[in-house]
Amino acid sequence: MTDQLAALTTIFTEFYYWVTVVLMFLIHVGFCMYEVGASRYKHHQHTLMKNTMLIPLVTVTWFLFGWWIYWAFPTGPGLAPSIMNESSALITDDSAFSATWYTATSDLMAVNLGDHISGVFWAAFLLFSWTAASIVSGAIIERITTFAFGILAIAIGSVFWVIDAAWGWHFDGWMLKLLGYHDAYASGVIHAIAGGFALGVLMVLGPRIGKFSSSGEPRNIGPRNPWLVTIGLFLIYTGFWGFYAACNIPIFDLGPEYGMEGISYWTATNIYVTPTTLSGITFNFLMSLSGGLLAGYWIAKGDPFWTYSSGLAGIICASAGNDLYHPIQAMIIGMIGVVISYKLHYWVERKFKIDDAVGAVAVHGYAGFIGLVICGFVLNGYPSSGYSVGAMWDGTTYATINPLGQFIGALIMFVVLGLIPGYIIAKVLHGMGKLRIPREAEIAGLDYEIMEAAKDDEKAVASATR
Amino acid sequence: MATVTNWIDHLNKPAEEVVGAVYPGAGSTEGLLVILAIVLWVGWHVLTGRSESQELDRLSKKRHSANDYKSNITDW
Repeated sequence: MTDQLAALTTIFTEFYYWVTVVLMFLIHVGFCMYEVGASRYKHHQHTLMKNTMLIPLVTVTWFLFGWWIYWAFPTGPGLAPSIMNESSALITDDSAFSATWYTATSDLMAVNLGDHISGVFWAAFLLFSWTAASIVSGAIIERITTFAFGILAIAIGSVFWVIDAAWGWHFDGWMLKLLGYHDAYASGVIHAIAGGFALGVLMVLGPRIGKFSSSGEPRNIGPRNPWLVTIGLFLIYTGFWGFYAACNIPIFDLGPEYGMEGISYWTATNIYVTPTTLSGITFNFLMSLSGGLLAGYWIAKGDPFWTYSSGLAGIICASAGNDLYHPIQAMIIGMIGVVISYKLHYWVERKFKIDDAVGAVAVHGYAGFIGLVICGFVLNGYPSSGYSVGAMWDGTTYATINPLGQFIGALIMFVVLGLIPGYIIAKVLHGMGKLRIPREAEIAGLDYEIMEAAKDDEKAVASATR
Repeated sequence: MATVTNWIDHLNKPAEEVVGAVYPGAGSTEGLLVILAIVLWVGWHVLTGRSESQELDRLSKKRHSANDYKSNITDW
């Protein structure tokens, strides 16, 4: 880096993403606390370890192949040509943003004095992967084996969400070009897919013992430790700031990028490389959080568990368009998403006997889906990409944002890449007898042996001190 | 294994030679390292999966009731 401006931009961007990763770590801390708080005493430690171990499982697979998928799959393959090489095949050539640079054996996937960005960018996306797997984790507590969860976490965290990110989040993604798909802060790309995946798994896994009466009436198994749940959700809110920051490019000169001669325009951009401001998204983040909390407090009659979750659902619902919405639009969209998600949660629970222990399918899946659909109406007509005005896309423009494209996009996220793979993988694991813990173990509590050993230790120490 | 043995000499090279990988074994060991990672990763799943199955089998055979765990709650 001999040019001072290039060096400053690069080092600032490297540091910016590095900080977002640290902030996003709080999401996982929050999910761990939240799940332990929601689980019953006799399952605490296994619940915690299940969610903790997704960190190494997803990280290693993300290094081995997840990151490669993101850069290889924007074209489908076969659905729309790349603006970089005009081919519809997997992007594995020598172009600038090719997957070929991100294989596990690439020398860019390590300390390399010629590349200051790849590792922190890799990590920012990795933290999104943890989040996707963690969303699934909460729904299935107290009855899934750690082995099965590990496989499911890898599937959602290092394969399926990455495919949808390549399709609908990458600046070269086919969903932008053909559908006008827009999802700036991942209503669908993270939340709808993870919620759909969790629902697919729950359909096979079944409810916790005692959740439904013999007549089919659902019973409430409320959080054992509501204060831990509270702190957990506040940490998730906090980490969500980092998530929003990580979905932006902090400083970028769009003039040359769009092929505009003699024009230099430095700005923050969203992940599609279209202009937004950190100021604007800060308005919208807080207003959609507020809308979610207001609606949740009202619809759940002040129930703290749902009120806190609704704050999160409000952000998730508005996230698809929070790069462009007015703050009051963001607030209202957050409110609408919460009311529909809450009602849907209880309707699905009663109708289909789905036991979603923490409401993850509602908070992430339904709210994300609804947010995508609403975004199609509110942002109807906006360009889905700045490249549509340039010459890179072989004279053809990207589709603009539109309601039908967003609805189809929501279906792809929730159903095609979420629910169906979750259901199929869970079915296979169930067929192998590896999905669910034995009934007797669930009744006794997963932590029974650990607690028994601790009691023995306590007795031994007490007898030694007499 | 060392890719760089003198930083001053290294940074004095032409710019295109300065940039590049500097980890031990750069350019010759990456494939082997990936194979090692895959073996460790698969091995971990096999070992922990087996261990979990044994634990669940043991627990199932004892047929505890839903409240038995309460007698194991420690006071410390």
